Amino acid sequence: MNPLIPLFVAIPLSGAFIDMILGRFIKGFSRYFTPVIILALASMSIYSAATAGTNPSVYYVGGWEPVKGIPVGICMVMDGFSVLMLCIINIVGFLSAFYSISYIKRFTSDNFYYALFCLMTAGMNGVVLSGDLFNIFVFLEISVISAYALVAFGVEKNELEASFKYQVLGSLASFFILAGIALIYWKTKTLNIADIRETLKPGYDRPFYIFVELLILSGFGIKAAIIPFHAWLPDAHSSAPSPISAMLSGVLIKAAGIYLIIRLFFNLFEINESVAVLITTLGALSMVIGVFLAIGQWDIKRLLAYHSISQMGYVVLSVGMGMILISRGVRHEIAMLAIAGGLYHLVNHAAFKGLLFLNAGAIEYTLGTRDLKEMGGLGKSMPATSATSFIASMSISGIPPFNGFFSKIIIIIAAVMARFYFLAFLAILVSIITLASFLKFQRYAFYNREDAKVEKGIKEVPFPMVFSMVIMSLLCIILSLLAFPGIRDAILTPATDILTDPAKYKDLVIGI
Amino acid sequence: MKEIATIILLPVAAGLLLLIIPEKFRIVKSVVALAISLITAYLSVVIFFDRLEPGTLGELSKGSALNFLGISLAADAGRYAILHSDHLSRLIILLSGTISLLIIIYSFIYVREMRTRNFYSWFLITTGCSAGAVFSDNLLLFIIFWGILGMTLYKLIPGNDEDSSAAAKKTLILIGASDSIMLAGIAIIWKITGSLNISEISLATDNPLTVTAFAALAIGSFTKAGAFPFHTWVPDYTQCAPASSSALLPASLDKLLGIYFLARLTSGMFIPGRWITFILLLAGAITIITAVMMALLQHNYKRLLGFHAVSQVGYMILGFALGSPLGLAAGLFHMANNAIYKTGLFLSAGSVEMRTGKNNIDDLGGLSRSMPITFICSLIFAMSISGVPPFNGFASKWMIYQGIIDFGTGPYFTNKLWIFWLGIAVLGSALTLASFIKFAGGIFLGRVRSEAEKITEVPLLMWVPAVILALACMLTGVFATGYVVPVFFMPASGTFHLPGFWNSSLVSLLVLVSILLGALIYLLTGIRRFRTEDSFTGGEKNQDETGYPAPEFYKTISEFRFFSWMYRKAENRLFDIYDLSKQSVLNISHMFSSAHTGVLPGYVIWACAGLTIMLLIMMI
Repeated sequence: MNPLIPLFVAIPLSGAFIDMILGRFIKGFSRYFTPVIILALASMSIYSAATAGTNPSVYYVGGWEPVKGIPVGICMVMDGFSVLMLCIINIVGFLSAFYSISYIKRFTSDNFYYALFCLMTAGMNGVVLSGDLFNIFVFLEISVISAYALVAFGVEKNELEASFKYQVLGSLASFFILAGIALIYWKTKTLNIADIRETLKPGYDRPFYIFVELLILSGFGIKAAIIPFHAWLPDAHSSAPSPISAMLSGVLIKAAGIYLIIRLFFNLFEINESVAVLITTLGALSMVIGVFLAIGQWDIKRLLAYHSISQMGYVVLSVGMGMILISRGVRHEIAMLAIAGGLYHLVNHAAFKGLLFLNAGAIEYTLGTRDLKEMGGLGKSMPATSATSFIASMSISGIPPFNGFFSKIIIIIAAVMARFYFLAFLAILVSIITLASFLKFQRYAFYNREDAKVEKGIKEVPFPMVFSMVIMSLLCIILSLLAFPGIRDAILTPATDILTDPAKYKDLVIGI
Repeated sequence: MKEIATIILLPVAAGLLLLIIPEKFRIVKSVVALAISLITAYLSVVIFFDRLEPGTLGELSKGSALNFLGISLAADAGRYAILHSDHLSRLIILLSGTISLLIIIYSFIYVREMRTRNFYSWFLITTGCSAGAVFSDNLLLFIIFWGILGMTLYKLIPGNDEDSSAAAKKTLILIGASDSIMLAGIAIIWKITGSLNISEISLATDNPLTVTAFAALAIGSFTKAGAFPFHTWVPDYTQCAPASSSALLPASLDKLLGIYFLARLTSGMFIPGRWITFILLLAGAITIITAVMMALLQHNYKRLLGFHAVSQVGYMILGFALGSPLGLAAGLFHMANNAIYKTGLFLSAGSVEMRTGKNNIDDLGGLSRSMPITFICSLIFAMSISGVPPFNGFASKWMIYQGIIDFGTGPYFTNKLWIFWLGIAVLGSALTLASFIKFAGGIFLGRVRSEAEKITEVPLLMWVPAVILALACMLTGVFATGYVVPVFFMPASGTFHLPGFWNSSLVSLLVLVSILLGALIYLLTGIRRFRTEDSFTGGEKNQDETGYPAPEFYKTISEFRFFSWMYRKAENRLFDIYDLSKQSVLNISHMFSSAHTGVLPGYVIWACAGLTIMLLIMMI
């Protein structure tokens, strides 16, 4: 058993309170304390990834082990998939927090900022570690409520409006989810995911089962901003302070939305073909409409936000294809390939979209504008921002040798292999339009004019911001290695295994 | 064995290293780049003449750092990292290695003047990756190298004004889009054959799936090489990029690679059917004609060269489409010749631009006195590209004509159309000559302008590469049938006999003899003693200020009724696949955006409606 599991929640949760209390007395305390604790979490998550992938473990809170195959207490599960998410959350979290050291100086009351940041991290870590629906819901609310507050952190008209929209749609989502959970509890008298899987069978009452599935799907669909549940995202992600945008786009929509959709539809519900087709359709819709919405934008952060919708579409599409194949019971290895491609893209998206938001933040920090038409010629005066954003743009557009290329090629190959030619075509089309819109970003931000240094006194952003961006861009390159068969087996395969084999998950949680 | 790994990895590693060195140490960077290019050029010669074969990754990595972390990367990666070297790939490497060496020598001074950032890094990465693309046998490995080349192309434009940044964007969008489409082709091939090794694949194009795969991959090679209708980035790129970048990628390496891959497609991986042959021939013919027609009207000489860079590709496609060893050899020969003279032309254009600072033929004239070496070289390149014997362009075009005539003996209607294909090819060649008279005449001949008198010849390091290329044009032309074709091209295409009697050395001798005879007659007889007068118009003597810029003579073409309509449409970019698709994408984007009103109740309704619709679909 991995003794670190409860610490992933406990450390940031207590960090939030320490930030508030000590930060009041020691000036600048929370600014340095928060990155340190999240760095600790990040290293713990990497350590866990090295061990938990092949050897997943469960932590029973309070030592309440299951009795005769019936779970009686709260359990926290660390398997291949959740450890992958933990790595994303804490590494992106650390880099954003470190970036904030310089970025957030311009705002007042940074104690609140860091306390909320810690709470959000704690919530997300809790979501991915929880093994039962109720705790998932509680941690989910912790993370999204802190996100509402963080979106409004600028307390101006736009920020407040965006936060309000986010709250309204977010509470609608919570309502759907809670209703779904209540219905499940009513039928099964249990909240443990593995246990529900045992007791709730679709043959029992099919319309009820589908109704619950759809409630859960639309609830988490809103959190994950899948079209048509996406409308809050562009406002919220573009109004938040940039490191928070990086967290929201890079991590929160995954931990609170995509992760749960994948986890619940593989490990809680039995996969049936019609729902799988529905999920694939939603993914394809998000992918296509998201990118068309993005290419027309001139506000950098809105452009990036719409791309998050589109890229999450890739993930959902790919996982959905895997679900269709599994439900048909054919070509198991191609289903595994599709799911692995989706998860791989999920990880990659965290790296490049986080980086892109940090870049946007750097530009906003120096120029004070987010409008692409007012930029230009930053290439020479901000070399680090320019180089890292080039890497991120190439990654998201799927240009080799960066990570986005490898995940996209896996998705496309899986689609062709599974004879979903139309989906492969859409994936390629979207990839091309993504490239076009990121070249637009590159052109108007960094080229298009003579060097901007002379006229405006523009210089590169401070060290903490540069450091975070450079590390992220290195991640974009290093993550390409996940495509290699040997490394893929060590990291992605455990995650797909636990998803596609519910019996394994059950054995892990409930034991024998 | 190690040589092939070195020629790929060494330039890439050096290029990455140079990225870190700040721009202040430009001299260090250029010396390193020159040294690396010398090594790769030497290796390319060795690889070609010693016919070296690559080893497998397992052999190469024995006991090296690839086996770390307890994960045997080499064993797994060995399934994908498969290299292969045959005569075709060695030929491409020989050309790209030597040409990039010449360009780097030229760039020594040129880049200092032009201030392109990180030129040497991207240059080295380009050469390394193109070697990688040529030697990789696995399609996934190939597409990785191929994709990186699109990125370096983007990085080799400075992009510090609106035009050049727009050209850079357009270039990478078109190249990146074609690369993405190629992924579909690769996926389909993998699905059908279960193999990704170029040397093992041989598919008949008889069902929709294989035709799609062929089309997807051919789009990749067409875009890279710059063939209709995916060529539109080439003129924009060459107009805005520094001449050394244009010479490196659109003029030589992209052509070599695109055509290399097309050769692989048509004569290895696929067996083209009748319709594919027809479409390829048609694409080739349209490429030749449209590009050269556009070139006739250009005022900017770098843009003019860009259109010719497109037009020449049409000949290579014609050659490959014929499907005979003669056609293949002719296409490859033309590819090699094109790389030589087009690089030379861009280098000369760069020299002119550096010395005069002007891009427009209208503003230039009479440079032959002040830049004699550049003038002679440009003249040779211009005659080569226009297909004047005895230069190399003639030799390869002649082979293509012979191939087309030979093709005419076949049974199908595509074969019956041979006279049409031949006519287009000859017409294209004539129009090329016409537009190069404008290039050479407009820039170097004509009245000497007052500002031209201060202009001097470019430094030694800039004219030496051009002279070497000009010599290469002559030598490959003169010894085409005797030495060049049998040694360099026949092994790659298979043996064939040239129909009809033609010996390039004999023809050259005859040309030389006739020139000598002409000179003799000129000197000995009284032709020299004719009356000379100053030029005049309607009895009035021309003033010194009056000038007739060469491009004006070509305006007549654009005033024909049909042509004027076509040209107007072309100027509005109605034939540009990039602008067409951009417009439609933006329209769709606008349609979706207008639905996002920002009204919160509407958004809530969307979410609820989404749930309801899903329920309705699933419950019924």
